[in-house]
Amino acid sequence: MLFQFVIRSLRKRPLLNFIKVLGLALGLCGILFITLFLKNELSFDSFHTNSQRIYRFTTTHPNFLNNSHFARLYNSEIIPELTDKFSEIENYVRLSPMRSGVIQFEKNFYTINEAFICDSTFFDLFNAKLIIGEKKSVLNSPGAMVVSESFAKKVFGTQNPVGNTLSLPAGQFYAERTDFTIKGVMKDFPHNSHFHPELITTPAKGSISNWAWTYLLLTENANTENIISEFTDFVAEKENQPVDQVKTKAHLQKLTDIHLHSNKLREIESNGNTTNLIVLGLAALILLLISLSNYASLNLGMAGFKAKFIAVTRILGSNKQMSLLYFAIESFIIILSSVLLTIALAFPINAFIRNNFNITLLHDNWLLVFITVIIFCTLGIFAGLLPVLKKQLENINPKTSRSLSTSGKIEVSKGIVIAQYTFAIVLIVAVLIISRQTQYALNQSMGAREDNIICFESVHANIQQDFEIFKAELLKHKSIESVSAMMEPPGGEANDMFAFELEGYQPQNDQQYDRIGVFPCDYSFAELFQLEFLSGQNFNKNNLDHEGSGEYLINESALPILNYSSAKEIIGKDFKLISPVPGIEIPSGKIIGVVKDFHLSNIKKKVGPMVLFKRDRLWLINFVIAYNKDMRQEALADIQQVWTEMFPAYPLNYDHVSSMYNKVYKTELLQSKMLSIFTFISLFICSMGLLGLSLLVSQQKIKEIGIRKVNGAKISEIMTLLNKDIIKWVAIAFVIATPLAYFAMHKWLENFAYKTELSWWVFALAGVLALVIALLTVSFQSWKAATRNPVEALRYE
Amino acid sequence: MIKLKNLFKYYDNKFQRTFVLKDVSLTINEGEFVSIMGPSGAGKSTLLNIIGMLDEPNEGEYFFLDQPAHQIKEKKKVEFHRNYVGFIFQAFHLIEEMTVYENIETPLIYKGVKSKDRKAMVADMLDRFNMVAKKDLFPAQLSGGQQQMVGIARAIVGKPKLLLADEPTGNLHSEQGKQIMALLKKLNEEEKITIIQVTHNEEFANYGKRIIRITDGLVESDERTTPPTP
Repeated sequence: MLFQFVIRSLRKRPLLNFIKVLGLALGLCGILFITLFLKNELSFDSFHTNSQRIYRFTTTHPNFLNNSHFARLYNSEIIPELTDKFSEIENYVRLSPMRSGVIQFEKNFYTINEAFICDSTFFDLFNAKLIIGEKKSVLNSPGAMVVSESFAKKVFGTQNPVGNTLSLPAGQFYAERTDFTIKGVMKDFPHNSHFHPELITTPAKGSISNWAWTYLLLTENANTENIISEFTDFVAEKENQPVDQVKTKAHLQKLTDIHLHSNKLREIESNGNTTNLIVLGLAALILLLISLSNYASLNLGMAGFKAKFIAVTRILGSNKQMSLLYFAIESFIIILSSVLLTIALAFPINAFIRNNFNITLLHDNWLLVFITVIIFCTLGIFAGLLPVLKKQLENINPKTSRSLSTSGKIEVSKGIVIAQYTFAIVLIVAVLIISRQTQYALNQSMGAREDNIICFESVHANIQQDFEIFKAELLKHKSIESVSAMMEPPGGEANDMFAFELEGYQPQNDQQYDRIGVFPCDYSFAELFQLEFLSGQNFNKNNLDHEGSGEYLINESALPILNYSSAKEIIGKDFKLISPVPGIEIPSGKIIGVVKDFHLSNIKKKVGPMVLFKRDRLWLINFVIAYNKDMRQEALADIQQVWTEMFPAYPLNYDHVSSMYNKVYKTELLQSKMLSIFTFISLFICSMGLLGLSLLVSQQKIKEIGIRKVNGAKISEIMTLLNKDIIKWVAIAFVIATPLAYFAMHKWLENFAYKTELSWWVFALAGVLALVIALLTVSFQSWKAATRNPVEALRYE
Repeated sequence: MIKLKNLFKYYDNKFQRTFVLKDVSLTINEGEFVSIMGPSGAGKSTLLNIIGMLDEPNEGEYFFLDQPAHQIKEKKKVEFHRNYVGFIFQAFHLIEEMTVYENIETPLIYKGVKSKDRKAMVADMLDRFNMVAKKDLFPAQLSGGQQQMVGIARAIVGKPKLLLADEPTGNLHSEQGKQIMALLKKLNEEEKITIIQVTHNEEFANYGKRIIRITDGLVESDERTTPPTP
């Protein structure tokens, strides 16, 4: 019986109840997807059966590239011996990168982004579903290759790839052409893996050495501390050194920690970070609070309508439980509707996320979805009931007569409105600052601001040899402004350091040489990226240097390292880099210019001291081309034409530098995008709630407004009367929100070495924005109430 | 049936105590039809609410059917409302979400009457008040007089011993008022329901057998009425 009364009473105020349902549904949607996203982030690499026992092994040495911590091991050849010696290491696999950029099948070259030469133990450590082939035997011969499903499809279409031969063309890292035979096909690695190989293969001959990412499978209950300390003994014995002289330090990082807690040099792919998760988690919490409090406040406001119902039924003999049941049923229906609405919204959202970010969140997570929904519903029902319980049931008895006479009294809980707007302002500030910082980062990145530079990343050695011709051919076209080449791609890491000699410079700590970061490039590098010169001049337009006439540019950060404070004084000083690579000599010469620091890598890292030098046909791995902005189409067509004429066998594969930097800052971009969406939802819910409340207030004040108007109040005065409170509440919210937001964003910005200021206007803007939105929402209703004919209002009763 | 002894009701403001009822003592027997009269703010409605256990006195004793009602517990009050009393209000206080039929049925549901019996009892009421055709209408679709008829039907459907009416004719014009009063009188005489009504109307007060006049919280007079001329 109660049920139908609830339905009738809900249908009586469709707008207000729809606002409740929509607010809850949007909140639930947001929370649901944040939860799923967080779970996805936290579950990285946990799908491997032995994920808890797999560790990534790395070492550092104080003298090795300034104690830099690389994600991969430079002397991976020691691993088999290490495994033999340490009883706690059960197995290992090393992934050595295939750095050719392309792979050849018959006549054609195919781009490869992530491919590894690995040990045959790959499938003992990592779970991957093999579509064709046996895990135990597939990698058991030299040159045995397993390709991923999508790579197989790209190269072979629907044909069975097994038995075909893929070749690495002769190139800079491979003296000669190497053939591999495809033995199996594996499913693509899932999104929540820290690496996604397109193909893996055992070495065609010999075994893996030098740089390789190294993973160890430890025995159950193995003690990582033991391994780390015994590694010192291992090194001492191997290098015939006393133990206390060994400076190499071993590090073991859990496989499942890599995605969120690893920020080393040369990661396989760029990883996530916990800041992002905290930001999103907080956003989810705020969303939860806003959407529940919105529901509670509307319920509280509308409780007035029920006061009479409750009072009358109490007089007719109902008891507390009945009233409670009434509200419980009402709450239940509202929540159920919002869950249904959420379900209707969830599938399109899921599809959107899958198409845009390649993450399937809903799939296989039904239990988590169910739990989230249940928790939200429980909280929702309580949020709906508590204020009503408080107001209606505690006081019903002594005041029954009163609640009858003043039925329809509406109370707006200003605390809730203030809290909602506080959160909303914090979110707005966060969105503004994060997008400003991201924009700042992209603007700082070299060549990203003006979208007219493209990059051929890691071109093949054969192509590198023809760089000069390629450049000359391109520059014949009017659409091309400048062509250059460099060792690291935009957004990459310049980690290499060479020993150097500088006129009048004494190495520290009695070492023979000090080291400094180096950046080999083509002579037009500074011109193409429009680097600013602090002093001196650019390279001569020629890449060939002779002993004694070498040219060096340094960046601003290098000045203090070289003991100079003025950029002018260092010009013309003798300088020499000592190549660590046997057979390659870098001609000695002079420092001819100082450029302002430029941001090749993420601005989270500080720019290091760096020496730029030009080399002919050596280490010029990445080609960059700047074209005339107004001739984009023509330029791209010209580039394609030149490329296909010169290198017909190689895939034309380039990216705009701006989009390469978008990849570098993808976390921040995703963060600001998601946060914008959640801020929008939060603001929307807040506004809806406020709209509902203003509806209630103006309904209640209909008579008062009528009387005031009859007595000569102007519409503007009525509006002021109705809007005054809102302005006050938003002002209070602003005062509370500002320090909160300041603190939170200050913390967030600490992640960056270079950051925008926390300008006061950002906060002011957020406050004004919140106020304007609130006022617009309320004014809609106030205007209606204020312009109403007073006679009409007073006719009632 | 009702015995009030030295009843006080007051509200404390910051500096002074405002008395609504001062030292009220009354005895009302079963089967009586009492009209309480007095100017606005005299404490009539408060007295009625105390008798109906919607309000509590600050001091004094109240016995209902020889039970000390001033000590009664919350749960017992519900029993009291369910089984002994019916209320009629000036503003009718019908539940707007319920049809006429459902409004009348509500007290029976709370009383725990079986569905079949409920149907018979509500049908009987509708029949007696000539409202069978209107049973599926909502209160807003009825005139004031009709709404009050529903209010009375709802008040008496549970066969209460006591009927409390707070200005039952206050929102009605005189013709409808007369009908309502005639109905109350009939209920008092034929069904022996004890009725206490608060009214401003001298004529309607005379439908009762006894008039109690209250001014400023004090009982001013308490006298039998001359039966109205038929």
